[in-house]
Amino acid sequence: MIIEGTRSVALEPQRLYTLLQDPDTLARCIPGCESLVKEGDQEYRLKMKLVIASVNGLFDGRVRIADPSPHESFRLIVEGSGRAGFVKGDGVIRLASDNGAGTNVHYKGEVHVGGTIAAVGQRLLDMTAKMVIKRFFDKVSEEAVAKASGT
Amino acid sequence: MATTTTKSPALLVGQSLRRREDPRLITGTATYVDDVKMPGMHHACILRSPHAAARIRAIRTSRALEMPGVVAVFTGEDVAHLGPVPCGAALPGLRVPAHTVLARDRVYYVGHPVAVVVATDRYLAADALDAIEVDWEPLPAVADPEKALEPGSPAVHPEWPDNIAFTYKQEGGDVDKAFAEADVVVRQRLVNQRLIPVAMETRGVVAEWKPGDRQLTLYTSTQIPHLVRTLVAGMLKMPENRLRVVAPEVGGGFGSKLNVYAEEALMAFVAMKIGKPVKWIESRRENFVATIHGRGHVDYYEVAAKRDGTILGIKLKLIQDIGAYHQLLTPAIPTLSILMMPGLYKCKNVRADLIGVFTNCTPTDAYRGAGRPEATYGIERMVDILAAELQMDPAEIRFKNFVGSGEFPYQTATGLSYDSGDYAAPLRKALETVNYETLREEQRKARESGRLIGIGISTYGEICALGPSASLPCGGWESATVKIEPGGQVTVLTGISPHGQGEETTFAQIVADELGVSVDDVVVLHGDTSLVQYGIGTFGSRNTAIGGTALYFALQDLKEKLKKFGAMLLESDDVVWNRGRCVCMKSGKEVTLPEIAAASYRAMKLPENTDPGLVATRFWEPPNFTFPFGAHIVVTEVDPETGAVQILRYVAVDDCGKIINPLLVRGQIHGGVVQALGQVFYEHAVYDENGQLVTGELTDYAIPKASYVPAIESYHTETPSPVNPLGVKGVGEAGTIGCTPAAVNSVVDALSHLGVRHIDMPLTPEKIWKVIQDRRTA
Repeated sequence: MIIEGTRSVALEPQRLYTLLQDPDTLARCIPGCESLVKEGDQEYRLKMKLVIASVNGLFDGRVRIADPSPHESFRLIVEGSGRAGFVKGDGVIRLASDNGAGTNVHYKGEVHVGGTIAAVGQRLLDMTAKMVIKRFFDKVSEEAVAKASGT
Repeated sequence: MATTTTKSPALLVGQSLRRREDPRLITGTATYVDDVKMPGMHHACILRSPHAAARIRAIRTSRALEMPGVVAVFTGEDVAHLGPVPCGAALPGLRVPAHTVLARDRVYYVGHPVAVVVATDRYLAADALDAIEVDWEPLPAVADPEKALEPGSPAVHPEWPDNIAFTYKQEGGDVDKAFAEADVVVRQRLVNQRLIPVAMETRGVVAEWKPGDRQLTLYTSTQIPHLVRTLVAGMLKMPENRLRVVAPEVGGGFGSKLNVYAEEALMAFVAMKIGKPVKWIESRRENFVATIHGRGHVDYYEVAAKRDGTILGIKLKLIQDIGAYHQLLTPAIPTLSILMMPGLYKCKNVRADLIGVFTNCTPTDAYRGAGRPEATYGIERMVDILAAELQMDPAEIRFKNFVGSGEFPYQTATGLSYDSGDYAAPLRKALETVNYETLREEQRKARESGRLIGIGISTYGEICALGPSASLPCGGWESATVKIEPGGQVTVLTGISPHGQGEETTFAQIVADELGVSVDDVVVLHGDTSLVQYGIGTFGSRNTAIGGTALYFALQDLKEKLKKFGAMLLESDDVVWNRGRCVCMKSGKEVTLPEIAAASYRAMKLPENTDPGLVATRFWEPPNFTFPFGAHIVVTEVDPETGAVQILRYVAVDDCGKIINPLLVRGQIHGGVVQALGQVFYEHAVYDENGQLVTGELTDYAIPKASYVPAIESYHTETPSPVNPLGVKGVGEAGTIGCTPAAVNSVVDALSHLGVRHIDMPLTPEKIWKVIQDRRTA
């Protein structure tokens, strides 16, 4: 499944980029995130609760950041699994100034799921993914506003 | 000794007795596997692969073992000594992958069992599954059988990169000549989609090991307890008489329980290992991936004919989706389709090329009809396509090609000998019932006003009462023991193990008529290998035709013995058996069955060369299959705006030979038709390109609900089979066989004036709507 979208965040690209690399911020913003621990230079261990259709479960996985191009883009590789199956995602996030104080975020990636979530949640996957992303950026925006007003 | 003669009660065979099984089923007092409870019983849950193909780099079970209530965790290494999950079908050149009870270093389909957790409670066992860490290395997978045949496709089993499980050819007559001489050849690709059997009761196993007695008991939801005993004993390398298999109440099977599954040997292993009884009950989601699927054909048909509609030759290229492994009969199923290729028609030139293809999917195997619905769908769709090509009436072209009623036994081009029939009779009756001529006129008028009415005809023949032993991998006979107890009641032990067929009723009817006892005095026991003599099992509409015949012969033996005792008691050589009584022809004196029974067990005096007691056992080997047939007509209306199909009429005329119980026959027809309507309109097991089953529960896999089902008008013609003395043929699968082509023919007929020639099942409103839109814009 291809996931693609845009989102505007009220923080300029440089500062948003930094924010998106900060494990503590990410842990607060990823919906259902139970823990996010840095394991390597650009690698994190993520535990996240996910609910799709009638399935819910804890996913244990790794998030890796690749091809970083500071303040502009980075690639996000996610792999997680749990009782409900597995999720694999690979996408690129691009940040561009909206010519004001904010950033236009463009994300595009491919997600594969397997096991129970594929068997019972396929119809709702697209919707769930959109919701998770929306809630993530909603939280990032909140943090951004706090950051912006805090300076 | 009674001297008055009372009037015999009416014969019960042929009467609609209500099922004697139903009171316990509908009051919740039947015992299914999950109702079996034992002191100290533990519970098992199975970790299954979420990947369609992956290497297992490592499995760590230590965290799971520390979870509360967990007593053991076993992986593939622990059960490596168990024999493989058996494939009973043999074909030349068949490639049989090593089908271990648990995966070892690699998994081949979503649902592949990887580890088993045993705990004091089912929920604790399920929770502990989460704590097993598997280090997977996902590999490319292939789920589409035609894609699997393409060069460069991922290899399901690395040792066979072409993914071919087997090839099989069958030819009769001179096909090339037939096609060369034909006026017309029609060709069509037909998909018989993969289905999930969805028995109401999922599978389940309870295993109990008694070390002192060295006896293992396995309660399992199966159609074939005796074969399970033989084959699981083989997997466990245990003498067969140390294993008792019990099939208690079985809540539906449809072929999905005509199998030997990994979990049966696995639970036996667990019970022996932990020294406690263990229960495993398959969840519904598990059932969708861990129990066999059905159908899964792609068929390329070519039919050659003369301009007058005479069918000259049939060619078929059949691609069977095997899945990742062969289960018990997997490779044999499509060969049944080939045997039935010519249907009811006099076509002597046929050629079939079958390719079995491995895919990273759940294995396919027998599902209600098992190869025969696929074959009937093929020939009956093709006959309609041929009729359309020749602008002939679909009824007329069928009458033209039927094997004649005077031609039996009829040798088919595929080597079968059709036993008896009058193929035109059910079609004539169905046409009369729907008032065919008038209906066609109504259809024409409806079309003028923009309504899309379709009339679909299908006739069918099927191979039932499987079958002579030479034709099966497991023996094709059946057995019965009849005991007249000292009190005169009758106990029947049948080797057949039913799961909804109603043997306890039909067999009691046969007993009641032969012995002159009340059905209430007859108990039919089945399904326990330590209680009942060996038998084969329930599949291929064989229970009454073969099991009933074994019973019939055992009853004849008993009647002979009853007469001997009667003659002794009446002190006369001139006696006859008259429904419950032995009557002296000279004096008119008689002795009743209970009087004879008491005398035979008391044994104060015995007839010459006669042992005490009244017990008879018969094993019966059928000389041939039986060949039921029939005609179904479906009238549909398609909503041009939504693509939704409404069934206006469903008429089924089935000839299953002599009918023991019309109510049960009607029940089988209804059930079969409804199940087939599921295939026609709703059901499809869909895998995505990565081998993930995306229709993994009942919210995504639609089975017919009661409100979807039309009124089914069920009629019969009765042509006795000469194969068995009861004259019965079998009816368990007829509904699924006759229905799919009739319903699809009907919908295609409704759209034929738009140039529609074929639509693959399931005929969802979306699919039909798109076809209509395409035609409108074309």
